[in-house]
Amino acid sequence: MTDTPISETEFRALQEFVFTEAKYADESRYDEWEALLTDDMQYRVPAGDGTDLSPFAPSIINDNRSRLATRLRQLRTGTRLSQAPPSVMRRLIANLTATRAGAIEYEMQGNFVVYEYQTQSTNQLQVWPGQATWRIRVTADGLRLCAKTVLLVHRSGPLPSLSFLI
Amino acid sequence: MTDIASLIQDTRVYSSLYTDPEIFACEMAEIYARNWVYVGHASEVPERGDYVRRTIGMEPVIVTRTTDGINVLANRCTHRGNLLCQAERGKRRAFACQYHGWVFNPSGELVDTPFPAGGTADHSSLHLRRATVEQYRGFIFATFAEHPIPLLDHLGFARQALDRASDLSPAGEVYIGRTWIKHLFQSNWKMLSENEADGYHVNFVHDSFAKAIKRQAKYDNVLSGDEQQVAAVVRSLGNGHAELDYAVTYDRPLSWLGVKSNRYPDYTDAMTKAYGAERAIEIMRAGPPHTFIFPNLFLAETCLVMIEPVNVGQTVNWHAPLLLKGAPDSINQRILRQGEVAMGPSSFLTADDSIIAERQWRALLGSPAWLDLSRGLQRERPRNDGVIESHYTDETPNRGFWHHYKSVMTSAPAMAVA
Repeated sequence: MTDTPISETEFRALQEFVFTEAKYADESRYDEWEALLTDDMQYRVPAGDGTDLSPFAPSIINDNRSRLATRLRQLRTGTRLSQAPPSVMRRLIANLTATRAGAIEYEMQGNFVVYEYQTQSTNQLQVWPGQATWRIRVTADGLRLCAKTVLLVHRSGPLPSLSFLI
Repeated sequence: MTDIASLIQDTRVYSSLYTDPEIFACEMAEIYARNWVYVGHASEVPERGDYVRRTIGMEPVIVTRTTDGINVLANRCTHRGNLLCQAERGKRRAFACQYHGWVFNPSGELVDTPFPAGGTADHSSLHLRRATVEQYRGFIFATFAEHPIPLLDHLGFARQALDRASDLSPAGEVYIGRTWIKHLFQSNWKMLSENEADGYHVNFVHDSFAKAIKRQAKYDNVLSGDEQQVAAVVRSLGNGHAELDYAVTYDRPLSWLGVKSNRYPDYTDAMTKAYGAERAIEIMRAGPPHTFIFPNLFLAETCLVMIEPVNVGQTVNWHAPLLLKGAPDSINQRILRQGEVAMGPSSFLTADDSIIAERQWRALLGSPAWLDLSRGLQRERPRNDGVIESHYTDETPNRGFWHHYKSVMTSAPAMAVA
């Protein structure tokens, strides 16, 4: 099974899933975004230049499911100042590839760029380019996201506040 | 001519102190170039030849370990001004300029210039600028002042915060890893400095955090929303240093980490061996410092923070976890995770602080005015030793910051700016 090539139909379904996730993130639709996640979701945005292999290297985001739930609760309060009002965003995703990862999971990888109009203080357009990896699981309820890792191009440099879903 | 002294009164300061580029230039010259500035921790350059790039104000420097100790050198070739080190960290036995090949030794002496037949410059006058360096418990401070006061005189009572941070380690030392997170604030650096020891904003700026976590022991006291209930205190420590102290709100060891006291038995054992049971329990109860050390160091409980002024309206807040040497991985992992909650572009706390600092800066840029810092003046409690303590929400730290700022900025002859 794990050696079987990804079919056109599978790839289309995976791509559709990734685009849906992107749309909910762009539109700050927190409930719908959260409904796409498995209970063991891992959400990571590493920092640094990638050469630090220490287990104590800090991340920009390193959320297990419980911390991610807190993050979403904070966003929903309406007083999360760095997303109140929410940023206006659109993201493009390209260069997608898919591989199997065990019997019931896939790994999608692609490049992205988020255009964020920061509306909370500076009123500037921020550009967030990078590579994303989505780990997607086949469940009884359909495809679900069990891990997302986002490697920002400028992750070793100064970053403005990033409290929307990337 | 602007007279800086006239912009700083006992309970108010004028907004141009944050927005005027000429005052910013003056701060770089008077505060950063002539006073002790934090540049790194000894654990970042453990071996001879190791270096990290840092700044003293806006001046790029190299912090490097040599056989004689730590040297801090201007990161600028004395020939034509190229950066000698571009990488953020590395290992070098000598610093060779990639422009024309001039070579400097780790003490900053010019030791080689290629094609010597044509050279007429006197090598001995072309050393790299070298700062005076002093360390306290591994925390490295440097200054380009010609006759600096001893570091311990500058630190004063803030020295106890460095002790408090280091004593949480059974080896008596913290360490800093390789990765820093850099958070860009589009605001003046002093908005960060002042906010680090501001207890008043916590219930407002961090309201969403209080709601999201439904509160937990660590924050119960200061997020209670009831002024009379808040037991934590602020202190102005002198020399511009200031702190928020949560110790009084922690009733048992490790509550500051949000865990039960018996969560890390190996750590408790190591601490007991190192300090004896009674003192170990007290260190683990009182927890880490939340202390700002003028002008650019912030001991942010489980993180170390460096404030890097970029220009009058841009500042980078660097942070890394304050890891405990000799402690089990499990507690350092918890320290790392706790820091990720508080600090950084996506954290639950400073992501929102940056927005307020940016709004402040924008408001002041277009709407100059006096800013009120009078809160708590009637109830602060000066101690015999000069430290002033007050209610957690009082502006005692701000008054201490500006008092020191004024003395530094007006002590030099070339004070007034055009």
